[in-house]
Amino acid sequence: MSTKRSMKYCGSAEHTTLSRRSFLGTTAALAGGMSGIAGLSNPAIADTIRKNDKRVIMLWLAGGASQLETFDPKPGRPTGGPYMPIPTSVPGVHISELMPKMAERLHKYTAVVRSLNTKDGGHGGGADLMMHGRKNEPNLKYPDIGAMLAHELGQADSEVPDYVAIYSQTEGRSNGGLGPGFLGARYAPIILNEKMELPFVKRLESITELDHRERADLQKLMSQRFLKGRESNSVASHGTAYDRVSGLMASDKLFDISQEPQKVRDRYGPSMFAQQALIARRLVEAGVPFVRVARAWWDSHGQNFETHSELVPELDHVMSTLLDDLEERGLLENTLVITTAEFGRTPKINASLGRDHFASAWSSTLSGCGVVPGAVYGETDEDGNTVKDGEVGAGEFFATVFEALGIKHDHELYVGARPIPLVNPGIKPIKEILA
Amino acid sequence: MSDPSKLKEVKRVSRKDMLFCLARVPNSGRIFFGSSDYNVYDVDLANEKPNDTLKELTGHNSYVLGAALAGENLVTGGYDRNLIWWNAEKHEQIRTVKQAHKRLIRAVVASPDGKRIASVADDMVCRIWNNDDSKLIHELRGHKEQTPHDYPSMLYACTFSADGKLLATGDKVGHVVIWNVENGKEVTSFESPENYTWDPKARRHSIGGIRSLQFSPDGKLLAVGGMGHVGNIDHLGGKSLVQVYDWKSGERKNQYQHEKRKGLVETLRFHHDSKWLLAAGGDNGGFLLFMDLNSNKYIREEDAKMHIHEFALNEESDTIYAVGHNNMAVWEMKG
Repeated sequence: MSTKRSMKYCGSAEHTTLSRRSFLGTTAALAGGMSGIAGLSNPAIADTIRKNDKRVIMLWLAGGASQLETFDPKPGRPTGGPYMPIPTSVPGVHISELMPKMAERLHKYTAVVRSLNTKDGGHGGGADLMMHGRKNEPNLKYPDIGAMLAHELGQADSEVPDYVAIYSQTEGRSNGGLGPGFLGARYAPIILNEKMELPFVKRLESITELDHRERADLQKLMSQRFLKGRESNSVASHGTAYDRVSGLMASDKLFDISQEPQKVRDRYGPSMFAQQALIARRLVEAGVPFVRVARAWWDSHGQNFETHSELVPELDHVMSTLLDDLEERGLLENTLVITTAEFGRTPKINASLGRDHFASAWSSTLSGCGVVPGAVYGETDEDGNTVKDGEVGAGEFFATVFEALGIKHDHELYVGARPIPLVNPGIKPIKEILA
Repeated sequence: MSDPSKLKEVKRVSRKDMLFCLARVPNSGRIFFGSSDYNVYDVDLANEKPNDTLKELTGHNSYVLGAALAGENLVTGGYDRNLIWWNAEKHEQIRTVKQAHKRLIRAVVASPDGKRIASVADDMVCRIWNNDDSKLIHELRGHKEQTPHDYPSMLYACTFSADGKLLATGDKVGHVVIWNVENGKEVTSFESPENYTWDPKARRHSIGGIRSLQFSPDGKLLAVGGMGHVGNIDHLGGKSLVQVYDWKSGERKNQYQHEKRKGLVETLRFHHDSKWLLAAGGDNGGFLLFMDLNSNKYIREEDAKMHIHEFALNEESDTIYAVGHNNMAVWEMKG
């Protein structure tokens, strides 16, 4: 039995196929190797199988997108703004006219949560909360969701990155305090801002590819000889680290969308957000467990409707294209796409025709893996000022993400001997949207 | 005789909605205005109690952004993409041109003789309509649908010249086109790029655009209103901007960029004898700015206590009727 993902992925079309086959085949191989039903009846093994090969792409709408101009329109109300709602493919469910592509696809992919009350309307605090699911304790820094999922879904011997965070705009880039917290540097994100390439892993131009490969082979040979007759974790770990760096170097092409057929690139389109979503797809296809693509900056204190008329159609296109692409490649079943932000925007429209920060009643979505497509959870009042039904916070949202990925939300991590559950005790997932 | 130095507010009516546009009935204090509650209203601001005269015209399905009076007709348009012809006295709908534009209608104006109606929208087309039967006469296509950065552009402003022969349109990226109304052909065009801010790095979207246009009474000059460069595009933080062009040559004759008055110039009107140019608009607050074209200086400024979306001058240019955020107001400046 092997739970190993495709290794040394080069980003070529040939390896894309192999990778996909590997991706799809692993769960079946696992089940077969464990006597099928018998293996599944063992909760621990079943859990391993369930969460194996799961991936996450987070579309982070930095600055705070308006729920009223996306997933929770309030037509005809003083707070509603000018855009009309349009019917979606789910009977009785309407979203903003700025999202016609997602409206067509809601029944296929996406569960909407309309009742988030996360209480923190500051960019820093809100982003921190929506990236960690809870507030840090004075003496305990929690890992962010990417680090937790890299820990839960990543493989110890993986040679592709476990956690990649892309954020090209500068505004709000440091919000959210991305990091592994108590999990340690092994689960820290690889952060890409300016250039879409891995930092510090390029082969020196003075060393040829052949020379580089031969050096690696020599290092491996010597390590293996040294390891013979010795039982040393540190020596083995040393070798694994070399393998990991070698893998990262080989995976550099994952970030190069020119490796994609022109047809695919055209489908995503020319925007930076779209191109980075394509990178995210390439990464999860190669086995990267968690990728965050940030699209900043939605902070529309002035001219909210103009800002959203630029950014929402872009989101609509990117999100729908990404979901279509993942589905067509057979990846969506095991990939969860989270679309969220640090908060939403005020129903009240200010004199600059803007909407301000608002964390009391806003929306996020989960698409793909483990969720009921077309489900709409929670309800806000007629003006969108308060949550009327199904109030949830960041913790419940995170618990739902974990469960959708086959990870028990009360699963515990450890800081020394202290157990730390993935979400705070007592928090429950939103069962109504879990498949 | 009007005298901006004597400017004083004489009336203010608070409202809960946002008032985006107005059309004034000649020789009166009566206006029609378009609202964020999807309605059009008829109100007499000359009345001691304007709210007692308020009448509601229902028919639109979104914000009403443009209103124009042409003879006995009132024509309105809005984000629902529809144009509605109303009998202004009876407050009855005459006819509706549904989906008059493919995208949001930003402004509606009438030619001085009342025969033609022009509408502009985010489909980047200006359409000229026959007022009598609402028939489409010309489609004016001279504005790009996409900004240089591949986002949808917007066509905010249009205005007729005093003789009704010319029409000017202005878009988000600062492109201005002058049209021949009779044949629908482009006469000339020029750029006013200072009105458009694209932030490629910090926030990666845009703000601004030409929000107001007005020909001088002699038709030789065209005033263009908007907002100068914005550092933080989360807010309407750019300096209010008015530029005056010799539209035939494209030469900029005047520029007024106020150091302290931030926000969009939403409306421009010339004094009927070109003694001054008046701009109004705002950010979270609002302003009235009087400019002298000879000295190239501001001659009077006033806090409007609301973001003004549109105003009208009376025939003597001594009374201002304005609508905006949660308010309508009247100022007088009688010498």
